Amino acid sequence: MLFTIIFTWAQVEAPHYLGLALTALTKYVEQYFNPATRATASMDDFYQALKLMLIFFILNAIIMLFTWVITSRFNAHSTNNMRENLFSKLQKMTIKYFDTHQDGKILSLFNSDLDNIFNAMNNAVFEVISQTALFIGTIWMMFRIDVRLALVTVASTPFVVVLSWIIMRKARKYLDAQQDEISNLNGYINEQINGQKVIITNGLQEESVEGFKVYNKKVRDAMFKGQFYSGILFPMMQGLSVLNLSIVIAMGSLWVVDGTYSRAVGLGLIVTFVQYSQTYFQPLTQLTSIYSMIQLALTGGRRLATIEEQAEENQVPTGQELKSLEKGVKLEDVHFGYNENKEILHGINISVNKGESVALVGPTGSGKTTVMNLLNRFYDVTGGKVTFDDVDVRDLTLESLRNNVGIVLQDSILFSGTVADNIKYGKPNASQKEIEEAAKQANIHDFIMTLPQGYNTEINDENSVFSTGQKQLISIARTILTNPPFLILDEATSNVDTVTEEKIQKAMDAVIAGRTSFVIAHRLKTIINSDKIVVLKDGKVLEEGNHEELLKEKGFYYNLYTNQMAFE
Amino acid sequence: MQILMAHFKNYKKEVLSAIISIFIVAFVAVWQPRLLQYVLTAIVQDNQVEVRNYGIQLIILALVGIIAGIVNVYSAARVAQGVTSDLREEVYTKIQNFSFGNIEKFSTGSLVVRLINDMNQVTNMIMTIFMQVFRVPLILVGAFILGIITVPRLWWLEVLMVVLIMGITAIIFKKLGSLFDKVQNLMDKINTQAKENLQGVRVVKSFNQEGQEINKFNQTSDTLNNVNLKIGYLFSTVIPSFELIAYVIIAAAIYLIGGSILEHPSDIAVISSYVTYIMQLLYAIMIGSFVMSIFARGGVSLKRIKEVLETQPDVVFKDDIPAEELDGDVEFDNVTFAYPDADKPILKNISFKVKSGEMVGIVGATGSGKSSLAQLLPRLYDPTEGTVRIGGHDLRDVNEKSLRDTVSYVLQRAILFSGTIASNLRQGKADATNYELERASQIAQAQEFISRYKDTFDHEVEERSSNFSGGQKQRLSIARGVVGKPKILILDDSTSALDAKSEKLVQEALEKELKDTTTFIIAEKIVSVMNADKIIVLDNGRLVAQGTHQELLENSPIYQEIYATQKAREKAGDIIE
Repeated sequence: MLFTIIFTWAQVEAPHYLGLALTALTKYVEQYFNPATRATASMDDFYQALKLMLIFFILNAIIMLFTWVITSRFNAHSTNNMRENLFSKLQKMTIKYFDTHQDGKILSLFNSDLDNIFNAMNNAVFEVISQTALFIGTIWMMFRIDVRLALVTVASTPFVVVLSWIIMRKARKYLDAQQDEISNLNGYINEQINGQKVIITNGLQEESVEGFKVYNKKVRDAMFKGQFYSGILFPMMQGLSVLNLSIVIAMGSLWVVDGTYSRAVGLGLIVTFVQYSQTYFQPLTQLTSIYSMIQLALTGGRRLATIEEQAEENQVPTGQELKSLEKGVKLEDVHFGYNENKEILHGINISVNKGESVALVGPTGSGKTTVMNLLNRFYDVTGGKVTFDDVDVRDLTLESLRNNVGIVLQDSILFSGTVADNIKYGKPNASQKEIEEAAKQANIHDFIMTLPQGYNTEINDENSVFSTGQKQLISIARTILTNPPFLILDEATSNVDTVTEEKIQKAMDAVIAGRTSFVIAHRLKTIINSDKIVVLKDGKVLEEGNHEELLKEKGFYYNLYTNQMAFE
Repeated sequence: MQILMAHFKNYKKEVLSAIISIFIVAFVAVWQPRLLQYVLTAIVQDNQVEVRNYGIQLIILALVGIIAGIVNVYSAARVAQGVTSDLREEVYTKIQNFSFGNIEKFSTGSLVVRLINDMNQVTNMIMTIFMQVFRVPLILVGAFILGIITVPRLWWLEVLMVVLIMGITAIIFKKLGSLFDKVQNLMDKINTQAKENLQGVRVVKSFNQEGQEINKFNQTSDTLNNVNLKIGYLFSTVIPSFELIAYVIIAAAIYLIGGSILEHPSDIAVISSYVTYIMQLLYAIMIGSFVMSIFARGGVSLKRIKEVLETQPDVVFKDDIPAEELDGDVEFDNVTFAYPDADKPILKNISFKVKSGEMVGIVGATGSGKSSLAQLLPRLYDPTEGTVRIGGHDLRDVNEKSLRDTVSYVLQRAILFSGTIASNLRQGKADATNYELERASQIAQAQEFISRYKDTFDHEVEERSSNFSGGQKQRLSIARGVVGKPKILILDDSTSALDAKSEKLVQEALEKELKDTTTFIIAEKIVSVMNADKIIVLDNGRLVAQGTHQELLENSPIYQEIYATQKAREKAGDIIE
């Protein structure tokens, strides 16, 4: 800021000395050619002014260097901060947000919005500050030198401001529309290409292109208008600046001619004010030339701000530490709905004693996955409570709760990195031996050893090193390595062959053994082997007991079992 | 650049008016200081008539500048938007001609980025071309020449300035290019990390790895920051040093003019415009470096777009084959297939024949090549060796539309598009009547839940079809597959989320309603295909046995083994679906 002021001062002073130098030179010439004053004619004033001008110029450049270095540091670091803050904010946000917002839209914050902001900062922040300072500085200097000419110079300003305000409003409207249309097009393309197999096999390519054209045309029209309105600001300002210049010259020379100013003074003044009129308009011109950039950055800023406003997970910093599980886990009269007006669980009671394995079965939509979401607080109950060793989960520190709860999800997720990185994901400091041990228990070690680079093979979620079943084994190994006392397993619906299924079954047995566990079960063997089966239907516990007991009841479970229905 | 040239042709008028107007704008910019100089000279000489004349000229020049500027923006925006959206359409159409192999190679995400982000960079570049590129050399040359005309004896000052500045530019831009490359790569990496983090948000949270994720992300972000800083510092030194050079030159010029003012007293009036010319030179060079940085980025994007356009589709349908009705006979003749870039074939020497109307089961372990085999039928890929024939025709010699009408492929992963149930089902047959939709959903056992919606087939399918369960999605996807009464239907494990009872109902309905349809059912469980007319057993990419369930039980040791294990486990109550 200080630099900016000095910089502006230097920039405003320099033309002043240029004017002084010219006045001095003119005086010298006049005196020299006038025989009466020739003897006293001296170039000293000229050299003096020139020297000062040069000093201010150099000062100008040096200050500019400093300011640029500082601002580019500031811009890079603050964008970096914004990016890192955004990411860590995302880490703190609730699952609910991610369940209800498209990944693609969140990602565009990193790709496009932060980029827009960085661009605008690089080109605009320094510009806006220095141009505003320059604007004020110029006005001050002009009025100090000559009030009359200064008034002439600023006379057209109200007109210019109103005109540009009208255009800017239009531009803003269309730039906003442009962003909306781009994100619609983005959504369309994303969906189409993700479903490309359907498009190819149904021969829908032409239809897809037709649909694309509609979105593309909207983008084209909106972008054209946005660019046109934000684009014409610059040439208009430039032209107006020249017009203003002519006014200054006209008035100046008029006053020289009618004798208000002496010729030498008048000429110097006109030259100075020609410079000032340009410096005066420069801020307006420059700011309008980067207007669309600023506008896009403001849009990006707004979008970032909406993320910043999102609720965070309550970490319960003052809560109790869950050291390990001593008694067991209970759901007591649990009510829950994702939306306020639609309750999904209607008063559920389930208890899992330490060392027990409980299987949760029931048809689609009965609320099994929802129960899982409540156990490690992806969501919080709306009524009743979930307790670990009789302590409400909301009174435990979130970190200690999740450290004690291991989860194997139905859809296995791999991260870019090596196989080893993926297995030790929950325990980054695990030794190679521990990793291999976990992989052996999960029945995936042998396969990993057949890979060319073994545990160091680079993988990601998209490439096909692992089949669906093998991915699941990796995620089981991941959980085994962290050795959690309480386990939630969401069995995958069987899309795997019998050999892999056998392996998964064994891995599941290995991971369940000796732990307290909660299984959303699809395999009958898992169900039969569990200590307790809970049948869930329409958000209520329908039946509860072990396999034999439930069969004897001849109720819903019995029907499921005898009709060979899936435990979806 | 050739890619752009081809599209510029369609906007000749706009291109022309953009170029003409930018010449006018440049002329105005260069001529204006000269007029200013005339006015000032006239003032010095006390010539009021000339002052007025030149003053009016100056005003006209300004008005011309405004009009030309607006025309320029209008034409440039037209060209930029026109060319970019045409190019985007060309790329999208090209992608629609890709085989699935092509798309996998690029990855969906990258294609989307190319169509959106890279296209925006191209728009910027085109705008820059028509608003700056033509102007910069004009102003550069114009200011240079007029500067020399104004004070001819100081020509060497200007030359010195240009040489100095060009030298600095050359050194710095070489560095800048490689830095921009790094930025692009790091942006990719940031994108991937954030994407994976969002995808795996439940894993991250349940393993308490938020901190670790932040560290990982920050590492990449900091690396990007360092590159950005380097770019920033480069620019920070460039611009002030340009200015310094210009300032010193200006001071030197004034000093020299002042020193010889007695020989050339009229030079007083030209000092101001001379200074303006030098500043214009500087300005042009600075804009030039700005333009070059946009070009550096736009160039990278164009290269990425070109990559898409120059990719040859793996599978190309011949244009000159007339559409004809195919029947449902299928023949695999010694087919070997390897995925592009794979070193080992996934299918080896597969031969079998299927008669129209038969039901064929394909069984085998994960990775044995079942889906790969099925994907050859709708020609998602071409075999590496051997021939696939439908109705006696080599698939490579079949009209695309005929093939699409004949073969219907229901995928393992049910994909629906946002819209309505009807719009999704009609993807299988564009002109399907309501009756046909109902019939298809009855076959797929979807009619029951569809009829429960008030708006039945007009019920909305939300983004990512989040308002349907897995089983419902599969049913809709099957309905889409059968609505067109295809001659050949492939169900690629597409009933995995259906219970055993519904699966059986679907099969029975297929047998009854689509009697003449050749149906391929890919299944993990033999139970699912026991009633098939023919079962094909794959093992490690080889066809190891084929026949009916009974025949295979008698002849095929592998089949016997699979069946025995499955049966044993079923008895133990293990397999229930």
